[in-house]
Amino acid sequence: MIQFFLAATLGVLFSIGTYLVLRRDVVRVVWGISIISQSANVYLVTMGGFDGLAPILSGHGASGPAPSDPIVQALVLTAIVIGFGTTALALVLTYRVYEEHGTIDMYELGGSR
Amino acid sequence: MQPTPEVVLAVVFLPFLAAAFTPVVYRILGERTAYFAAAVALVTLGLVTDQYLAGAHGTVSFDWIPSLGVSLAFHVDGLALLIAFLASGVGVLILTYSGGYMHGEPGQAKYYATLLAFMGSMLGVALAGDLVALFVFWELTSLSSFILIGHYTGEEASQYAARKSMLITVSGGLFMLVGFLLLVWASGQTTAIEGTTYSIPLLVEHADAIREVLTASGLLVPVLVLVGLGAATKSAQVPFHVWLPNAMEAPTPVSAFLHSATMVKAGVYLVGRFRPLFLPEDAAVLGEWTLVFAVLGLLTMTVAAMLAVSATDIKELLAYSTASHLGLIIAAFGFANSYGAEAGAFHILNHASFKAALFMVAGIIAHEAGTRNIDRLGGLRKHLPVTAVIAVVASLSMAGFPPFNGFYSKELLFESTYYAAEHMGGVAWVFPVVAVFGSVFTFLYSIKFASLFFGDEPDGLGHVHRPPVAMLVPPAILGALVLAISAQPNLFIEGLIGDVYGSVVPGEAHSFSVHFPTELTPYVIMSIITIVVGAAAFPFYDRIHDAINAALRGPVRANWWYDNFVEGLTTASVAVTPKIQTGLLRTYTTWGLFGFVALALGGYAAAGVSLPGFDGLSVSIPIVLVLLVALVAAFAVDIAPSHVAGVLTLSIVGFMVAIFYILADAPDLALTQLVVETLVLVIFLLVLDRLPAFYGDAPDRLVSVRDGLLSLAVGGTVFLTVLLSTNASPDPLLREFIVARAGVPAEHGPFFADYGGGSNVVNVILVDFRGIDTMGEISVVVMASIAILTLIRMRTRGETQ
Repeated sequence: MIQFFLAATLGVLFSIGTYLVLRRDVVRVVWGISIISQSANVYLVTMGGFDGLAPILSGHGASGPAPSDPIVQALVLTAIVIGFGTTALALVLTYRVYEEHGTIDMYELGGSR
Repeated sequence: MQPTPEVVLAVVFLPFLAAAFTPVVYRILGERTAYFAAAVALVTLGLVTDQYLAGAHGTVSFDWIPSLGVSLAFHVDGLALLIAFLASGVGVLILTYSGGYMHGEPGQAKYYATLLAFMGSMLGVALAGDLVALFVFWELTSLSSFILIGHYTGEEASQYAARKSMLITVSGGLFMLVGFLLLVWASGQTTAIEGTTYSIPLLVEHADAIREVLTASGLLVPVLVLVGLGAATKSAQVPFHVWLPNAMEAPTPVSAFLHSATMVKAGVYLVGRFRPLFLPEDAAVLGEWTLVFAVLGLLTMTVAAMLAVSATDIKELLAYSTASHLGLIIAAFGFANSYGAEAGAFHILNHASFKAALFMVAGIIAHEAGTRNIDRLGGLRKHLPVTAVIAVVASLSMAGFPPFNGFYSKELLFESTYYAAEHMGGVAWVFPVVAVFGSVFTFLYSIKFASLFFGDEPDGLGHVHRPPVAMLVPPAILGALVLAISAQPNLFIEGLIGDVYGSVVPGEAHSFSVHFPTELTPYVIMSIITIVVGAAAFPFYDRIHDAINAALRGPVRANWWYDNFVEGLTTASVAVTPKIQTGLLRTYTTWGLFGFVALALGGYAAAGVSLPGFDGLSVSIPIVLVLLVALVAAFAVDIAPSHVAGVLTLSIVGFMVAIFYILADAPDLALTQLVVETLVLVIFLLVLDRLPAFYGDAPDRLVSVRDGLLSLAVGGTVFLTVLLSTNASPDPLLREFIVARAGVPAEHGPFFADYGGGSNVVNVILVDFRGIDTMGEISVVVMASIAILTLIRMRTRGETQ
């Protein structure tokens, strides 16, 4: 099933995320990464298709369409939790960077433009 | 008789085993480790001799990578035995000699361990009967050569020399590997061989079929050139000869062993080994083979001999001379007539005998007189009488002076060039002319080396000591070998060289013998011309020396190319690195994302994908609405005026994604997303409380335009990727497997409920089917929380300083 709408949505979300990652404010970089990982999850779920039922055995009875792809859901579930871990770590790192250097401006933190 | 598998294995791996134990032995024996190593070499030599006396001939093979048809195969024949004799026999002498030479030198444990490992690798190269095994041992010799050349690790010249030899020989080996793989491919194309094979004897056996396939696909010359590159880099052929003189930075025993008698012979060995594969029995006189190798060899023989005359250091002279003699052997193997194969086979032995002796003589001179400069040496005969005798015998043999052994093999080369020219006529007469021309220079530098022992002592020469016995006996043995071969050449030919000859010719080999010339044949005249012109030119040696040096300028020197190339690479890296590695996150991100976009789009373009046509929304209206809200929220994050506003809008994105999961029939995801999103919001707000309010992020216009373009490119690539991947219909095997077993229970049986103990398929997958994965996921979260704890708590404990 070709997903034009989702392709467009994901494209825009990735663009916004990329633009944020390129900013000089470290917090914005974290936001950008967060948006990109959310979009990647949505992309994976999209790959499973939207035409099924929730992949739970009981309660569907003997008829009805097949359940939607449970594999992508299991993958994404892991990804959400890992994303949570990395986001939290990135935030605390930001906090520590501020404590150490007194700034969260990439340009002031070092490197040459 | 078939070779004994255990013995052959022991020959190759005993030196490696001994190398592993060398550090321990060194602690016990100290400098006497040399004699331990020599004993190991002697045992190896004994094992090789055992196989030789038993008349071993054939292949033994051990499974290595059976699924790919790669085996650890060893092929024993004349050529393999000759090289194995050289590696182990010269090894015994060199290791004994090292006991005297290396007295008081640093890094001896490493030195002996590497020499032994080298000996094992060289024996492996000699005996390898499998292309992969040959390649592995081949590169191992390059590695050990690298370590030995760089023995004096602190000195810049050693580092330069080691790097140079490594770059040249290893890259040559990689070309050779490509050639090997093409051969394996060819073996798969012919019906003569079942499947593909890496076995060298099998390839040689079906040489005609392999050659047919290669010729038909136009790959014969490429394969020849690729394998030839491996041989040429290893055997220091022009223009790759530049690493050999630098390699003389190594201790002299190493130069004598690796860089004259054995390792550099690997290239020659390769040419000999593949000669029957590439050279048809009824070969054209100037086929592809001759064109590549005779030309390469004669060119090297002449150029390197001229360079040897231009040398000012005795080891440099010997290094160029080695390259020149290797050129002679390669040229001899290049000619299709039988004299060429005879000359090459015989000269491998002769060259090893006189050149290793001469290197050890050079080591004695450097050690006892304290200089290697030709101009500052002379009249050494009075101080080093025994050494002088060895040097004269070996030098005359190197010069091709009758009746020494070098004369016989050079005579065979002249014979083969003469016959090749006679058969073809015309331009082929260049071959004998060049051979004589190069030999004149060989004669000149050989006599120059011998003349160091005569004449007057230069003023600067201090007191010359007598060498220790350990340094004198090994060259004396080799000198005696030179005399023995000179006196009874046919004994050695019957004993071993005849078999070597058999290994390098296609089809049945006839027996051959050499005789001292009694009548005036054309090739005897060639020898006479060489000696007469050489003797006539010798009084002008210094002028020739200066003239060659004057001509060696700029691009004429191969070194000029090497140095500029390596220097250029270094300069380019130094210039590019600060551009890429700025220390600024955005630079890395930009290059990384740019690379991703370029690779992905390039891949699509290369695969020639076409965009699918639009065929409706294919999602329900609620999903559209939810995603639109998410989009607006994401955009709001981008332009958020404060951190708090940004975090709140980011949360909207997250919650909209949660609702999207509900609509996409993924309840577990929705639950997790809701919990995680709430937690992230809390952490964000906690951290933001401690951070400065907001950085007025007003980038200059150029930067924002550039970032915007890159973002659009990334977005466009993602758009295309999603379109293409949702358009594709991959094999639904895995999905069907799960769905079939998770499906409507009444028909398929409650597989998940029975085996997984649950009716939620996603849950069962996570905790049961992919339990280890989930375990890893939990570990990640645990590690993240420990890291967070450390980052926050440890600072106050004074761990920052």
